[in-house]
Amino acid sequence: MLKKVVIVMRPSSIRYYLKEGFTGLLKNRLMTVASIATVAACIFIISLSVCIIQNLNTALKQIEDNIGIAVFLQDDLTSDDVSRLRDEMLDIDHVTMVTYISPSDALESIKDQWDAADILEGFEGENNPLSHTFEIEIEGIEYQDQVLNDLSNISGVRNIRHAKTETDVLLKINKIMGIVGIIIIAILAVISVVIIMNTIKISVYTRKNEINIMKYVGATDWFIRWPFIIEGIMIGLIGAAIPMVISWPVYNSIISALYEYMPVIKNMATLLTGYQLFSKLIPLSLLAGIMLGVLGSVSSIRKYLRV
Amino acid sequence: MLRIENVTKVYPNGSEGVKNVSIRIGKGEFVFFIGSSGSGKSTLIKLLMKELNPTKGRIVINGINTTDMKRSQIPYLRRNLGIVFQDFRLLPNKTVYENVAFAMQVIEAPRKQIRRNVPTVLSLVGLSHKAKAYPNQLSGGEQQRTALARAIVNNPPILIADEPTGNLDPDTAWEIMQLLDEINKRGTTVVVATHAKDLVDVMQKRVVTLKNGHIIRDVEKGGYSDEA
Repeated sequence: MLKKVVIVMRPSSIRYYLKEGFTGLLKNRLMTVASIATVAACIFIISLSVCIIQNLNTALKQIEDNIGIAVFLQDDLTSDDVSRLRDEMLDIDHVTMVTYISPSDALESIKDQWDAADILEGFEGENNPLSHTFEIEIEGIEYQDQVLNDLSNISGVRNIRHAKTETDVLLKINKIMGIVGIIIIAILAVISVVIIMNTIKISVYTRKNEINIMKYVGATDWFIRWPFIIEGIMIGLIGAAIPMVISWPVYNSIISALYEYMPVIKNMATLLTGYQLFSKLIPLSLLAGIMLGVLGSVSSIRKYLRV
Repeated sequence: MLRIENVTKVYPNGSEGVKNVSIRIGKGEFVFFIGSSGSGKSTLIKLLMKELNPTKGRIVINGINTTDMKRSQIPYLRRNLGIVFQDFRLLPNKTVYENVAFAMQVIEAPRKQIRRNVPTVLSLVGLSHKAKAYPNQLSGGEQQRTALARAIVNNPPILIADEPTGNLDPDTAWEIMQLLDEINKRGTTVVVATHAKDLVDVMQKRVVTLKNGHIIRDVEKGGYSDEA
């Protein structure tokens, strides 16, 4: 006598879900606006923190990349030896680039930097005291110790120089930033879910009679849920789109204003462009908005389904 | 059709709704549950609708033991039950027609069938001319007729009415009773919980009397007042 539970959606039901979902949005206009505004505010605050954290991360990464390792070679090496050593260094794990600087290049660069061409006259060619040098770039400063160890095992290397303290500080900042970023975003996300759930709860409450009647005439829980899920999706989508549409141009103008009024920033690091940031942030926000909306709706009607 | 076997319901606060109640109701019967407030008739109705679960005993509806039924099966059980309440429970923003059609929509009935069945039941309850009216434009009796139409539109084998005339004046109450009788004559098993003493007397149907959660009397063609 009891029909088996079939999870098939009739086309007429899909039409019903959509119709009910959208009329729900329009009928409870005040609550719809309140819910969308809540989602928008939450997404805005979360994406603001993401913007700041992401930019700090890129800046940090750029500073890290500037910290290289300098390897000085012994003096009595032929050019074959030098190119063999170069290959050996390239073979070391996590080494991304090896740049060769000849003694004369090095001398020129010192002359330029110190503006001391006259003082250094006479040190060219045979008299050049500088050694063959490799500048080595690695994947990340966390690999520095390992690479240094491998480098010291290569014969023909006279001396290795690297920035130990800076590396340690950067590594620490890196770690703290990661943790702080996750904590901030997690807290904001939890607060958002609670606020959004409460807002949607009020909107569901106004329709508890409807849900009640549906239960008594034998509607399945999923049949009752779908219109609310569609409402949740719409609220989430619109709520996430609003802050994105507003903050992309705002972000762009902030970045150009920063470059204009604080040119010093440009020397330290290139900030993320609006496109770089928002091409990732937009899909994530829309997804988060939908999830928040659906979660809010589904959890809000749960209580009324228990009849 | 409907078997209540040694059912006891103890509420979480310790009060007992019904104690060791057994009733058998056959197909096509018309049964009144009577008793004062707190006698257990509402508890019994809620147990039948599976709004509550019995603490002890079991309830079999249409051959199905509802006692250890999965939650996901409850909607399919309720499709066998038409339910009418004292307070009508119509949706205020839907017309009479839409309120009745709603009961078919939510069980995903084909549109064709909805268009065929709704006018039929509306004419059965005498509301064809009010199809486009909203509940607040209807009298109490008309609202309850709408609720009745909604309860029977899916042709449930059992109709359960909880104080269906509680909010109505005597004349209208009588009309609703006649309508319930009419529905019963068409083959639907009807269970009515009520206070309406004089109506029960006139109807001369089976009467189950409850007091303090016990059945104290169960008579065929009984009245309210010939209580011992």
